[in-house]
Amino acid sequence: MARTGVNVLRRQREREETYVDYSLIFVILFLLAFGLVMIYSTSTYWANLKMNGDSSYYFKHQFGAVFGGIVAMIFMSYFPYGLLRKFAFPLYATSVVLLILTPIIGREVNGAKRWIQVPVIGSIQPAEIAKISVIIFVAAFILRLQKLLLTPKGYGVAIGFPAFLAIMIRMCTKNLSSAIIVMGIAVIMLFVATPGYKRYVMAALSVGAFAAVTVLIIVNAGAKGSFRSERVLAWLDPQGHATGKGFQTLQSLYAIGSGGTFGKGLGESMQKMGFIPEAQNDMIFSVICEELGLFGAIAVMLMFLLLIWRLMIIANNAPDMFGALLVIGVMAHIAIQVILNIAVVTNTIPNTGITLPFISYGGTAVVFQLAELGIALNVGRNIGR
Amino acid sequence: MKTVKTKNVQKFTIGMKKKLVVLFMLVLLAFAGLGARLISITTNNGKEYEKKVLSQQRYDSTTIPYKRGSILDCNESTLAWSEKVYNLILNANVLLSDKEKNKDKIQLTLNALNKYFAAQMSANGIDLKWIQDYLEKNSDKKYYILAKKLSYDEIKDFQDYASKENLKGVYFEANYIRKYPENTLASDVIGFTSADDVGQWGLEKQYNDILGGVEGREYGYLDDDLKLERTTIPAIDGNSIVTTIDSHLQAVVEKYLNVFNEENKGKVRPGNGAMNVGCIMTNINTGEILAMASYPNFDLNNPWDASKLVGMPELHKYTEDVLDEDGNIKIHKGDVEQVKDDKDNPVYITAERAEQLNNSDDADTYEQKVANLQAMWKNFCISDTYEPGSVSKPITVAIGLDSGKITGNETYNCGGYLEVGGHKIHCHNTGGDGIVSVQQGIQKSCNVAMMHVAQATGIHIFSKYQKNLGLGLKTNIDLPGEPFMDTDVMIHRENGENSKSGDVVMVPTDLATYSFGQGYNCTMIEMITAFNSLINGGKFYQPHVVKKILSSSGSTIKNIEPRLLKQTVSDSTSEKIVEYCNTVTQEGGTGTTAVPVGYKIGGKTGTAEMSINGRRDKINYVVSFMGYAPADNPEISIYVVVDRPNTIKQDNARFATTIVHNILTEALPYLGYPMTEEVTEKQQQELNEFREKYGITSAPPKVEENQEDEAAEGNSSEEQKEEKEEKEENKEPIWKSFDVDPETGYYINPNTGNLVDPDSGYELGSSAFEDEPSDDAPKETANN
Repeated sequence: MARTGVNVLRRQREREETYVDYSLIFVILFLLAFGLVMIYSTSTYWANLKMNGDSSYYFKHQFGAVFGGIVAMIFMSYFPYGLLRKFAFPLYATSVVLLILTPIIGREVNGAKRWIQVPVIGSIQPAEIAKISVIIFVAAFILRLQKLLLTPKGYGVAIGFPAFLAIMIRMCTKNLSSAIIVMGIAVIMLFVATPGYKRYVMAALSVGAFAAVTVLIIVNAGAKGSFRSERVLAWLDPQGHATGKGFQTLQSLYAIGSGGTFGKGLGESMQKMGFIPEAQNDMIFSVICEELGLFGAIAVMLMFLLLIWRLMIIANNAPDMFGALLVIGVMAHIAIQVILNIAVVTNTIPNTGITLPFISYGGTAVVFQLAELGIALNVGRNIGR
Repeated sequence: MKTVKTKNVQKFTIGMKKKLVVLFMLVLLAFAGLGARLISITTNNGKEYEKKVLSQQRYDSTTIPYKRGSILDCNESTLAWSEKVYNLILNANVLLSDKEKNKDKIQLTLNALNKYFAAQMSANGIDLKWIQDYLEKNSDKKYYILAKKLSYDEIKDFQDYASKENLKGVYFEANYIRKYPENTLASDVIGFTSADDVGQWGLEKQYNDILGGVEGREYGYLDDDLKLERTTIPAIDGNSIVTTIDSHLQAVVEKYLNVFNEENKGKVRPGNGAMNVGCIMTNINTGEILAMASYPNFDLNNPWDASKLVGMPELHKYTEDVLDEDGNIKIHKGDVEQVKDDKDNPVYITAERAEQLNNSDDADTYEQKVANLQAMWKNFCISDTYEPGSVSKPITVAIGLDSGKITGNETYNCGGYLEVGGHKIHCHNTGGDGIVSVQQGIQKSCNVAMMHVAQATGIHIFSKYQKNLGLGLKTNIDLPGEPFMDTDVMIHRENGENSKSGDVVMVPTDLATYSFGQGYNCTMIEMITAFNSLINGGKFYQPHVVKKILSSSGSTIKNIEPRLLKQTVSDSTSEKIVEYCNTVTQEGGTGTTAVPVGYKIGGKTGTAEMSINGRRDKINYVVSFMGYAPADNPEISIYVVVDRPNTIKQDNARFATTIVHNILTEALPYLGYPMTEEVTEKQQQELNEFREKYGITSAPPKVEENQEDEAAEGNSSEEQKEEKEEKEENKEPIWKSFDVDPETGYYINPNTGNLVDPDSGYELGSSAFEDEPSDDAPKETANN
């Protein structure tokens, strides 16, 4: 797999650039192009209705964001990642400040304040910035703590900072899924950075037990539950909540089931016609299943797996610990989002709003995800230095 | 790799690499799990979910009905339109949500329903108590229709009240129903629609795609907070069509068809005044249909009502194959046959039978009802074929003149018959008309003269012209139901081109009988289209009923211009035909009774023997009159066909000419034609009586200006005329010396025993052949 010895840059500084991961770049570009096609397919009906007949509204916006994201990726791939260590804490602080500002100056969309209006660029989601900053921060923090990390106190501090950020996300933007992702990234990075499995197995088991108990309580409590508990009930019995919280999940299942092995054909989805609400967002994978069938869906999953595999290769060959940890953070971010998104779409877990990286509609997300990959590419460049 | 290792570089340790691989394995495991889940959803629930997806396309989103376009007459007054109506829907689920909190509101809703819709709901057997019971039992149901087809006025008050009090759980569903404000007017032409707005007959069927629109949709979807919202794609309404039908003229035509029926029904047989009566009026210079009617008609607002069938011969539809002794199929399933009584006479539908058809739940009775209704719904004027008879004589002459085979100055000696191909083919005047000119051949309707003209023309030219005039071919009028015409059953062609095997060709006897309109079949629309081209200078227009298409907002989308298809005869031939046909309605012609007082018209009568089961029984006739006005510069034409009038002696064109006379007496003044002829006092009195009898309230006809002077010296000319009449009375025709039949008032020809019409001298029931060979019967005929 590894391609070596390609000297791309002619710079004054004599840096040996020995590794450019072409297969990674190919996978990224493929997913971006595929995502744009699917966004156009899923959103035309909706855009026609909502955007005064501009059926390519979502496509055009996403296209702009993808372009910006590629620029960010190229920039980050030339930006020496070592310098990021210096930015770790300022970035973390900025994220916290932005999150605090969100409920105050944020723009309200569909009753939730999750966006901040920024001149020129448009609106951004502070939660997305928090995800990239937690990668850089945790990577830098692990290096700073070094041996201290092995002590319970040190470990507590290492997990405390991202946990604080996750709580801020949940508090300020009422966005549980982003909080889970931030926490997940931090835990995975620490998992790789520290020896031993025992505590992680324990943690996983206790989280599982806690979830099971919660579900049991909710089920026994019956219908008189809160917003979240109804989601859990709808997860267990989507048919029974077909007109309420189960509607979206059920429609998504219908889409997957009706697609069959090879799907109805690109653009032929019936479920996107108002049944799957805003099909270009969280539920885009179910439309992929409906239009391209199991074949297409598994092909997309394999592309993501390839992406994660390449990131793992880069991490394993990284010139230093910091680079490796950064790449592991990026890998964790993408893996978590893909797995959770598909799990939601297939009703494997309760419905939380998680987007599919590079494919779902969302400008901020795609820009920052591409910037993260830019960092990974930059780490890859320095392999063998 | 011997680059300088900087001081503080921490390397990624082996342990970490291992953990990374473990992490990747976990990710791989998760992916595998999700992949398995996807596969299991597709294989286990694929079929079920596929059905769900398809079914909710229809049920989970509601359709919004479109408004079907209107059908308008030539002055854009409405013949058919769609009215918006509302169904009252009860959504128990919504009404009973938060039952405790909304207790008052539920009661308020029920009271309001009872107050505003008690009467309408009781039609469905629903009252307040019923609703309360329903709500108790079906608290989760979302859809129940409490009342149907409410008008906007009926629901307005409730809607105001409901929005004021913010009532929930009761809403209205819009729908359209088709309405025909003129009820029976032009029922054959307009047609009607099925309950789901698909055109069934007439214009509704022909222009279904244009009148129909596109349904809108309302979809449910969830917003970010998973709240169900609805979104709407509006419906696209259909386009309207403007017809060439003049609804006043149409009403006039239908009035006098009805008068005919009232006067003749039940005369010698039970049932209507004739098996069929049809009338078409056209603008000869555009091909526009001004009026088209047949009797009986039906109520477009209630087309399934069998009571309109009363007086029609009953039909029986076979619902099973009938086998003969050998087990072969004798009568096929679906065949339709007239019901006959013991004496083999047709059975006519009585009021009791109609009642029975309307009220029976029996499947077979229903089938019979539909079979009979279909006979009523069809448009006689374009769907039924018959032998046209003498109306086609001008065509024969026109062919001779236009091809140069005759000059118009020829004379023929009519000895009462002509022998063709071994058959004696008779003239209607079995005594013979003596020496007749071409003009007299048309005026007196002499068969022998026509046969001579046709023989002079020859089969080749005659057949070519017939085809060019569209005889035996569809006219492609924009109405459904024209039969497929060009077959050897309908008409024989010179080269047998319309025969399957190519061996049925036109023979000399065909030529002879075709010359006076027997031996081939055509439709009314076909005949009037051909005739129009003979009198308008040879221009053959495609007949049409629709002249304009309007969008739902009323702007013109398309104008349908007259379609000139070809030149059939020359201008000079056309002039001569008009000249000849004008004599038919003058003294000595066969069509004098068609002329309305004060006008001069032209035309041609027709009395055709019917061939029933291959036999000409000389009992059943189709009589007709083709007329046009004004005589000297024709603009409109009228064609009336009476199929088997209900009378002892059917072979009398007066049944048709009287209808034409009646219609034109009212129609010509309405169309703005001034009187051109003098009106005697007696005639004026008759006219006044006529106008009073039939309730004509429109302005009396204008008299042309330059006639005033003549009217001033009217006395002298009147005297002259009287003198003339006296003279003619002195010169009594030979038949006036015959004995008078006390029953009918007709004279009796002592030689044949046949009755003789006292006015025209036409001998009723006179036959073409003394001894009719029964095998190839259709060729021989008597004719007027």
